[in-house]
Order: sequence, then structure tokens, then C-alpha cells
Amino acid sequence: MRKHPLGMALALAFAMVLSFSATASAQTKQPSKASKLPNADSAHDLSGVWMLDRPRPLTVVERFWMYELNEEEPPMTAWGEAQYKAAKSSFGANAYPLAETNDPIYHTCTPPGYPRVILHPFPMQVVQSPGEVIMLFEYDSVRHQIFTDGRKHDTALGPLWMGDAIGHWEGDTLVADTVNFNDKTWLDRVGHPHSEGLHLVERIRRTNHFHLTDDITVDDPKAYTKPWTAHLDFLLRPKWTLAELFCEDQDTFDEIENNETKPAK
Amino acid sequence: MRNHLLGVALAIAMVVCFSWAASAQTKQPSVAPNDPSANPAHDLSGVWFDDHPRLITVQQRYWAYTFTPEAPPMTDWAQAKFNAAKSSFGPHAVPLVETTDPLYHTCAPIGFPIAFLYPLPMQIVQAPGEVIMLFEWDSLRHQIFTDGRPHDTALGPLWMGDSIGHWEGDTLVADTVNFNDKTWLDRMGHPHSDALHVVERIRRIDHDHLVDDITIEDPKAYTKPWTAHLPFVLKPKWTLAEQFCEDEQSFQTIDKDAAAPSK
Repeated sequence: MRKHPLGMALALAFAMVLSFSATASAQTKQPSKASKLPNADSAHDLSGVWMLDRPRPLTVVERFWMYELNEEEPPMTAWGEAQYKAAKSSFGANAYPLAETNDPIYHTCTPPGYPRVILHPFPMQVVQSPGEVIMLFEYDSVRHQIFTDGRKHDTALGPLWMGDAIGHWEGDTLVADTVNFNDKTWLDRVGHPHSEGLHLVERIRRTNHFHLTDDITVDDPKAYTKPWTAHLDFLLRPKWTLAELFCEDQDTFDEIENNETKPAK
Repeated sequence: MRNHLLGVALAIAMVVCFSWAASAQTKQPSVAPNDPSANPAHDLSGVWFDDHPRLITVQQRYWAYTFTPEAPPMTDWAQAKFNAAKSSFGPHAVPLVETTDPLYHTCAPIGFPIAFLYPLPMQIVQAPGEVIMLFEWDSLRHQIFTDGRPHDTALGPLWMGDSIGHWEGDTLVADTVNFNDKTWLDRMGHPHSDALHVVERIRRIDHDHLVDDITIEDPKAYTKPWTAHLPFVLKPKWTLAEQFCEDEQSFQTIDKDAAAPSK
């Protein structure tokens, strides 16, 4: 993210002009043939560099990158509540100083897991190849592969940090179903928990050339009394490319976190 | 790697894939030139696996631990570093608990080009303006930008380097600099400095085979540039699995398997 904001204002204004014309022309054009190529059917093209797109609030606890999937508190079970109380996040309303956090990614650099990685303030790139849609996250180089080749879930794979994701298209919506998680990660950055029974269903749709939405349903009977949903918006960043950002680069990491906890200007 | 067997579904996908490849080769590109699907000769995509001959002894497993059978031409600085490195592989292997391999016990990123030397597959995916290598090992990503950008020293030093490329006919020429010096060049402990400069000539010689002719230049570590030839075979039925270094148990299993004599 270090280099992304450079000269963005003008670039984005220009890109938006381009985008509106691209969107207009894309909508008048019919897909001409079926093929295995991901871009053959433009309705199934999710590719690009995306950034979580949330309104920029003014207070520290409500930064434009939120630390949770949802504004409302999810319906936790007693187990979920106990886990959440024990979690000492360095973010959110009751933030602990970095030195006191028990956030699993700090000090050990374990993988952030999915879907938590979506909430880190770095871009995500979607690339597609026949039979799979791949999300590449700038943060810690993690990737999330959604197989659309008709395979089933495979419990022999798990438990996994990023889960075992399969998907299919319903019209222009990619419906991704993810199970086989380990329970070593937090669901979000404030410490809401999940168990190995976590089951995610995502409905991912490119609503127009520059916007992607992910309606995500979290189902985890051990942690939550009922399934609950969140709506995530992403904005295309046509001039961005992913940078290298490994958790191990502690200086960079601390610097970013320090900037993040400063009040917004 | 555990779960690459896919059965009937992929067998069908393969047939479709071959027929697509066949038709793609007879078709003239009609789309924008930076679309990777536009020029079939520029399509490196697929899941690739090391294709060195299968050797019989423990020291010469089919995944070699270094780039060339011959020792590279080290400077005094490099020779000292190499002598101090305690690799758990190769002819002078030390037990895992004694190794100074920067990867062990910390799970630091292994870096590039050493990522090629792990016995796990690598997938190439392409997007306009970039060729992306995804390594199964530790979810590593190596992006080669082909959009005409120059190197950017403000990016470095990096674990995987700052990589730009261009096409010379059907060969992707990738040029990588801006490395940090925290990683080994290979799994035997040959060193590199932050002046490492890697030039690769990557070519899909036929549908199922890819070669990477790699030139290592690092005046601090090597008295002259030297080259290695890396062959890869397409694994059309494989997909990348999750393999994080943090999964210590599976990690140790892999190393135990690697150290066991081949059957």
C-alpha cells in the first residue's frame, strides 16, 4: 500500500472517465461465444485489483478499513462470547496496545486466515484460470482459491488456514462455499472467534466494471447461535498492482499499524 | 500436493482443454495485444512441476537442492558464507535441529529463486501486463510485470525481488533485482547479496513442457555470472494445495520424506 496513493487523485479522475465509457460499451456488447477462457463471458470476469470500499468515517474506531465484517455484533453462543472476551485485539472499541495483544498473527506471523484477510487494509487481486477463481491478497502473500471445476469439498484437505472453497456460477454471481477451516485464526481483526465448523457462503458479483460485492454468510453453530450475513463492497483499482508485504518485515508492519491507529486527518 | 487427483471431472476438463488449445493455435489473435490469451505463444499458464531426471541417491533426489551439479564460482566472501551455512540437505547435511537454514524455526519467506527448488508445484497465471508465478510452498507469489514499467529501487529490498519482463518471440525474458540478503540462493546454503541480479529466459517448448534458463549475477558472491537450466513438466490434473510453513508437522513430514531413500 505504501506506493499506491501516489498521484491517485488525478489518475482516478481520469480512470473513472475511462471506466464509464468502458462500462457503457461492455453493456451493449453480447458475449459472442462460450469458451473455457475466463474472460470469454464478461459476466464471469471478476479479475482486477480490488480494494475494500467502505465509507471513510472520522473517528479512529471507525476507519474506512473496518476491523469487522459487520457493524452489528454477531449472535454469539456462550462459547463464542467467552472466546471473544479472552481475545485482546489491538483494534476496535476496546483496543489493547500492540505489546499486550494476543492476536494470533502478531509476534508469530501465522497466516491471517480467511475471511479475516479481507479486512486487512491492503488490496486483493482476482485472477481467473479455467476451473478456478483465485484471490491474491497483498497482505502476507496469502491466496484463496475457489475451484469452479465441479469438484466436491474434500475433508482430507483440512483443517486449513484459508479453507477449502468450491464455487459455481448462478447467472453473473459466483457462489462460493468454504469449509475445512482450522480454528487457529480469528474471524475478523477484533477477535470474533470461529471454530472448525465454520461454513462460509459468499455471493460474489461484479455489479459494474468498477464495483464488486461479496454477500457473505457466516455459519458456525459452535460460535454463533444462527447464521448471519455481511455485505462487502470492493472498488476496482485499475492502476494498482500488488506489492510485496510479508508479515516478517516487522518494521514496515509496525509502521503501518502505527499509521493505522493515528486519528484520521 | 496431497490432493491433486481429481478423477472423471478433470479428465473431461482435460479433453475440453486440449481441444481449446488446438483451436487456439489455429486462431489469429483478435483481441488486445496485452491479453495473455491473445497470443498462444505467450501462454505459460498451468500447474508446473520440476522435471529433472529422477536420481537414485539421497543426495541426488529428483528435486535437487541446488541449481547446477557443479559448484558455482564463489568469491571469498561467498565461500565463507557457504562454509558457515549448515544446510539440512546435500552432501554435508546436518540434522534439522542443527541447521542454520533461515527458513527453519522462523518460517521466514524463502525468497526467489530458491522457491523453484522445493518439491512442490508452481502455477503460472497471467493477467494483462503481468505473469504471476504462484508457489504451493508457503503461498509465495512472484509477479513479473510485462507492462513496460522499469525497476523501482524504492520497492526494495524484497524477499521475492522486483521483477520485470518482456517477450522476445515466444520467450519471456524476466529481469529481477532489489533483493534483500536474508535468504539463501538455494537449499544447500549458497549465498547471495542484495546485489543479486537474476535474468530468466522462460519458454514453453511444447504444450506440456516449460524451460527456464536462469542467469545468476552477483559480483559480491560470484566471480562471474553463471547459468542453470530448469525444466518443468505440466501437471494438468493438479491444483495447488495449501502448504504454509507454520504447519510444522506436515513440514517435518515432508522433510522426513525428502530425506528417506527413494523406493
